[in-house]
Amino acid sequence: MNPLENRVSEKFPKVLITSETIGNIIGFIVLGVLFWLKEHFEWPTWIGWVLIILLILCIIGTVWSYVKPRYVYQSWRYQVDETYLQLSYGVLNKEWVTVPMTKIQAVTTSQGPIMRAYQLRSIKVETMGSSHEIPALEEEVALQLREQIATYAQLKEVDE
Amino acid sequence: MRYHPMVILFQIYQLVKENVLFALVLFVFQKDSDFWLFVYGKYVFVAYVSLRFIYIVSSWFVETYEWQDRTFYLKKGVLTKKTMTIPFSKIQNVTKKTTLFHKLFGLTSLYFETVLDGEDSTIVFPVVTKQQATKIVVMVNVQEGKEVVKEKEKEKTEKVDPSIPEQEVRSDSTIHYEPTSKDLLKASFTSLSFLIIIPIISGLYDIFESFITQYQGIFKDSLSILSLSIVVVIIAISIGVIRTFLKYGEYRISSNDSRIFIDRGVVEKSQFAIEKRKVQGIEIKQNVMTRMFGLVEVTLISSFNPEVEDSDVSVNSLYPFLPVKKAYQLIEELLPGYYVHQSMQRLARASLWMKLIKPSWLWLIATACLIYFKPTVFKIESTWWLASLVLLIIVVVNRLLDYWHTKYLIAGDQVQWWHGGLVSKLFLTKRKNIIEMGYSQSVLQRILKLGSITTMNRSNPTRIETVADVPTEFIQSFQRWYKDRQADIHNQ
Repeated sequence: MNPLENRVSEKFPKVLITSETIGNIIGFIVLGVLFWLKEHFEWPTWIGWVLIILLILCIIGTVWSYVKPRYVYQSWRYQVDETYLQLSYGVLNKEWVTVPMTKIQAVTTSQGPIMRAYQLRSIKVETMGSSHEIPALEEEVALQLREQIATYAQLKEVDE
Repeated sequence: MRYHPMVILFQIYQLVKENVLFALVLFVFQKDSDFWLFVYGKYVFVAYVSLRFIYIVSSWFVETYEWQDRTFYLKKGVLTKKTMTIPFSKIQNVTKKTTLFHKLFGLTSLYFETVLDGEDSTIVFPVVTKQQATKIVVMVNVQEGKEVVKEKEKEKTEKVDPSIPEQEVRSDSTIHYEPTSKDLLKASFTSLSFLIIIPIISGLYDIFESFITQYQGIFKDSLSILSLSIVVVIIAISIGVIRTFLKYGEYRISSNDSRIFIDRGVVEKSQFAIEKRKVQGIEIKQNVMTRMFGLVEVTLISSFNPEVEDSDVSVNSLYPFLPVKKAYQLIEELLPGYYVHQSMQRLARASLWMKLIKPSWLWLIATACLIYFKPTVFKIESTWWLASLVLLIIVVVNRLLDYWHTKYLIAGDQVQWWHGGLVSKLFLTKRKNIIEMGYSQSVLQRILKLGSITTMNRSNPTRIETVADVPTEFIQSFQRWYKDRQADIHNQ
């Protein structure tokens, strides 16, 4: 299984860390509110236990969310040629996907606020039964890739 | 032209069938209830039923169908009118269904499944005469080239020659399978349908409990208990056999060049036609019982998804109780190009370790719940750890069986694999029908040099099949094989 040709943008770990940080902050605020509600309204004790377990999980998750992005970036690869789109990703569980170009029905690029700050775009590819996303590409790379996939995918297949 | 006048009666019959329970509750059981829901419910119910009644009658006068140039024109709707135009070429499948109602009047119903989406995807003729049905089906099926339907056909449809035999629709079709009584007998045992007696008995027992305790003297005698149980078992088995004969008795699988036909049902008859071109793959399924009797269920994975409701049997299922050899033979007969290879590659020992080491979330969660709640069943204190142990044994046996059953093979442009424990499945498809493939590897699988392959086939919903814990060499050859997919498509 040779590694695929292309990597995603090296700003990808930064994007991940930014969005994870925002997510973590929101998560801790929600937990804090729940703890306060529990004390204030004297909710039953078992809810307290559930909240403590959640807190522990959140802390582990937070630590992991700062370690993970580098490895996620390193694991992400893609390759596009006339016949197939191939993706591989995953840190602990590795995934490889092969999609025939002729089965691709739509390509979309999108950009959220964080991605905009880093001038990145993601590409979403939809087929008859699934959709796949290449998470972070430099803007011009993304736009070029979108055109390329769209051109390749137009080749019609006789098979129905 | 209008639909058959019996449509009115048929729809009223359906209306009655749907609402008889409500009517009973409102006007019999809760007749004197002061509860507002029942008081006003009666008025709402009467209003609803009469509106539906008016709608049924008036819609018969309004709704029409006709055809011209191989296209259906359907007028629909009483208040909001709409006209639908559906070319015959958009029709994928024809189903004829004869319910008890239809049988009573010597009529039938027709369903044309189209490629369209949404509520109007099926053209329904709720009631048609058999001759008319045959005529319409012939007309729709006629190939573009050898079209015989004249433009003015619609004017003389009422004078159709009633002698068109049923078989004409399926000109040059051959019959491939009709179950024998022996097959059916086997099927009735494997389907365990005789077990339906158990809830009935326990229900009866609840009712007659006081009665039985009163005459306990009679049941003290062990001989009478024995004879009673024998009687019950005999009744149970015969009910099962009768059920199976009714459901799978008059069954026929036939085909011509382009379609597969399935006729089923003794009392309520239905006919299905599946286009061979639409078949994306095949699944053969075996559970513990059918394995013991050497039977399998064959299901076609098809991009066509019928909407005709048939509660018990999945429409794409060929037959749930086929003898193994017959099933393989049938697949080869029905779908030229498919061949069920018998000798396949087995999993290596490493896969067995993988299957056993993998944590069972089901067991962990169930055990956690059991430890927490410690339920006592049958007044035995220690049930919770017994239950956990039993579950663990089932999980392990299932995994051992899965290891034992898993086999895989690539042959030409075809791939096939068996997998599954208590219920095992053979999946069979062609390279060109796989619309996407992927493989995954967990940390453990990486250490043991294993992985799981996932394929996707067109179906509704998309058919996703996985074979787990196969060696990486096979994954690589699978990947290479899939990369040559282009070859099949250009050869088409």
